[in-house]
Amino acid sequence: MNPTDPFSEIGARIGGFIDEHTTRPASDADFNRLALDLFALQFQHNGPFQRLCRARGAEPDCVDHWTRIPAMPAAAFKEWEVTSLPADRRSRVFHSSGTTEQTPSRHWHDDESLALYESSLKPGFARAVLGGETRVRHQIGLLTPSEEDAPNSSLVHMFAVVKETFGDPDSTWLGATGEDRAWIPDPARLATFLERSVVEELPVILLGTAFLFVHLLDLLEGTDHRFTLPAGSKVMETGGYKGRSREMPREELHRLIGYRLGVGPERIVREYGMSELSSQAYANAQPSGPPPPAEGGEASLSQLSTSDSPARRSPAKAAQLFHFPPWARARIVSPETGAEVAEGETGLIQIHDLANLRSVATIRTEDLGIRRGEGFELLGRSAQAEPRGCSRMTN
Amino acid sequence: MEFESDSDFTTSYFADLGGEEALTPTLVREAALALRRNRREFLDWRSTGNMIRALAKVGENWRDPDYRFRRLVLEKGPKETGFSRQTLERGLATFFDQLTKENLEALISQEFGHLRRLDGMSTNKEERFSDRSALATGPELIVHICSGTLPNPTLASMVSGLLVGSSQFIKCSRGASFIPRAFAHSIYEEEPKMGACFEIAEWAGGAAQFEDPLFEEASCVTATGSDETIRSIRERLPLAVRFLGYGHKLSLAFVAQDMLDGFLASETLHNAALDIAAWDQRGCLSPQVIYVEKGGTVAPSVFAKQLAEELDKLEKKQPRAELTPEEAAEIANRRAIYELRAADSGETRLWQSEGSTHWTVVFESDPQWQYSCGNRFVYVKEIADANEVLRNLEPVREFLSTVGLAAPEERLEELATAFGRFGATRVCPLGRMQSPPITWRHDGQPALANLVTWTDWEQ
Repeated sequence: MNPTDPFSEIGARIGGFIDEHTTRPASDADFNRLALDLFALQFQHNGPFQRLCRARGAEPDCVDHWTRIPAMPAAAFKEWEVTSLPADRRSRVFHSSGTTEQTPSRHWHDDESLALYESSLKPGFARAVLGGETRVRHQIGLLTPSEEDAPNSSLVHMFAVVKETFGDPDSTWLGATGEDRAWIPDPARLATFLERSVVEELPVILLGTAFLFVHLLDLLEGTDHRFTLPAGSKVMETGGYKGRSREMPREELHRLIGYRLGVGPERIVREYGMSELSSQAYANAQPSGPPPPAEGGEASLSQLSTSDSPARRSPAKAAQLFHFPPWARARIVSPETGAEVAEGETGLIQIHDLANLRSVATIRTEDLGIRRGEGFELLGRSAQAEPRGCSRMTN
Repeated sequence: MEFESDSDFTTSYFADLGGEEALTPTLVREAALALRRNRREFLDWRSTGNMIRALAKVGENWRDPDYRFRRLVLEKGPKETGFSRQTLERGLATFFDQLTKENLEALISQEFGHLRRLDGMSTNKEERFSDRSALATGPELIVHICSGTLPNPTLASMVSGLLVGSSQFIKCSRGASFIPRAFAHSIYEEEPKMGACFEIAEWAGGAAQFEDPLFEEASCVTATGSDETIRSIRERLPLAVRFLGYGHKLSLAFVAQDMLDGFLASETLHNAALDIAAWDQRGCLSPQVIYVEKGGTVAPSVFAKQLAEELDKLEKKQPRAELTPEEAAEIANRRAIYELRAADSGETRLWQSEGSTHWTVVFESDPQWQYSCGNRFVYVKEIADANEVLRNLEPVREFLSTVGLAAPEERLEELATAFGRFGATRVCPLGRMQSPPITWRHDGQPALANLVTWTDWEQ
């Protein structure tokens, strides 16, 4: 830590906050104090963020609660340099993952902010995926390409840290980059990894994006292979598809993971993260709470309902709820008014991530979620609505 | 909402009874066969004059504020369609005001050169010269695959089909059949035998179990929708079935510099706002971008600001539909970026409704074409002249539909010709973009002539 650098100082405080709240919740007052101090610093040193706050009339001296700090749209990371790091201190950059995007998001780190990112991801992962079991090493299979092959992926960096921190010596990368830089699983390495696990009866943890799991399942289906991974094996899947494989509803994906790998839904953890953040939310399979009541109206009206969007559909069964660790807080805000929505309502997911030291802590995503208690149900990318008109909206 | 429950109707359409869960492939095929039978019995013998009289009477009914179908649609329409009562009222008026004997006769003459072309062998001047007569015959069964929730294109298709003497199966998007059903019932009430030549159903587009039997029975299929929808339908049609596909289009407005000042300005602003508010900017004919000419006494950015004020006023008189979270999120996401750009430089400015997504005006000095997300989200872009507009439309040229013009009288013809040569299929005054006449040649195609088959008789 460099004592003369205010970011170093607050970074150390945030690191302490993370350590302190790895397993116990934080009070709003404690969170708020740190959030406001970080806000003041980010306002001062981050040009695009400062302009946004000024345009909103929300500057540090008139903001007294973290919920009133303006949120930076995640998409802004494509267009502006959303960082307080001068060019010569940017030692690492993470890009958003879409292969089709012309301008990816860029999230810069220096060694200090990267260390904070790592100290945020480790306890979050340990708790959600390892169930707190960090005394033994785990055999981890990572479906993505390695960090050498995908140096700008925050997900791959996260996996590398996980492998290094929690993995045993047999933990390994199982993916590769194919044509046009798309990620694909490596069939040979995959087969070796899965077969060995079965033969040696060693439980494994498989980590990957949803679309890599679809590729994996397609491979297994193509050769009509089924594995029954040993008891204790787990799967963590994350992220959407963005056109990189056929899309598969989550229930179907989880069912097929059960069928082809022998890992039941109770041992599948979902992760929600993005390159613009430094903390991750997790949902595990335990159904949390009763399903919400069906939305109003008698049955006959549903026949004429004008909307069948996922956001309006009532979940048939208890949905999986995502939770961030105590140093990152999610709010579900109404796209209509910008205010936090009521329990059970749908809105955009906005995250205040204290571990986002060098960019902006408050990030407005383009994902929709439903507010449920302290967590949220993920609906995903918001631009999936079927257009109701006949006007051309894209080429 | 079932129409027969509050009246003595003896008919009900599929969609009156529910969505696709109430249907089977057999029911759909039987309906198609029944429609063909009904056409032979009820439409075949009807003259164009007879058809026009009946349709004109239906139009007259709908123009009566107390007409019960009109009242029903305005009362229940907001819940059924999402559009506000005022948006429905204005939007439907643009259609029913057109449904008159004179307009329908004009349409037949425009398309066939003769009012009695469909009634029997007839001869025009050129044909008489070479001893020929000719007869036009409409398809026995037209299947319309309608996308989106805007009712007017569907209503117009239904009128066109009747005019050429066809039975029609109308497939609406889910939740979009309410107004077409009300229209069909209103025809049924006036002329039950004509009303019996419609079937209306709702299912999610592409449902092959229903569409395949229907396509086998159809003589002609029309479809509106995305490129993907159109392509998929075309590929699934039997070779002998005539197909008319209408892909999604885009429209824009051009405002000349002379129209930004004084009284002209208030009219221009009002007309622009009306076009943006009509059907909540969801139609192919709605302006997505308003190009405003530079060099006048009023800067285009000032026009943009005034347009925002005008949209705010109009919101109180004609509220926009409530949006789904996805639709509202699309607006919120776009606003977030434009807000940052506006904070970054004067090249971009943003005006938006407070505490809602009701309307948004983005001013950009960058003239590049930009797709709107609809729902009263409009771009105002400054531009040197019409030629510069055309240069910036080059990437989207093939999709261009309507250009709404606000320009001095003496420039109109030159502008209309320039946009027309470039590819616009319709040029109209600003303020009327969403009110095409019933004679409108949809996407540059003949309004009726594409539906019929000619018989030439050489004597």
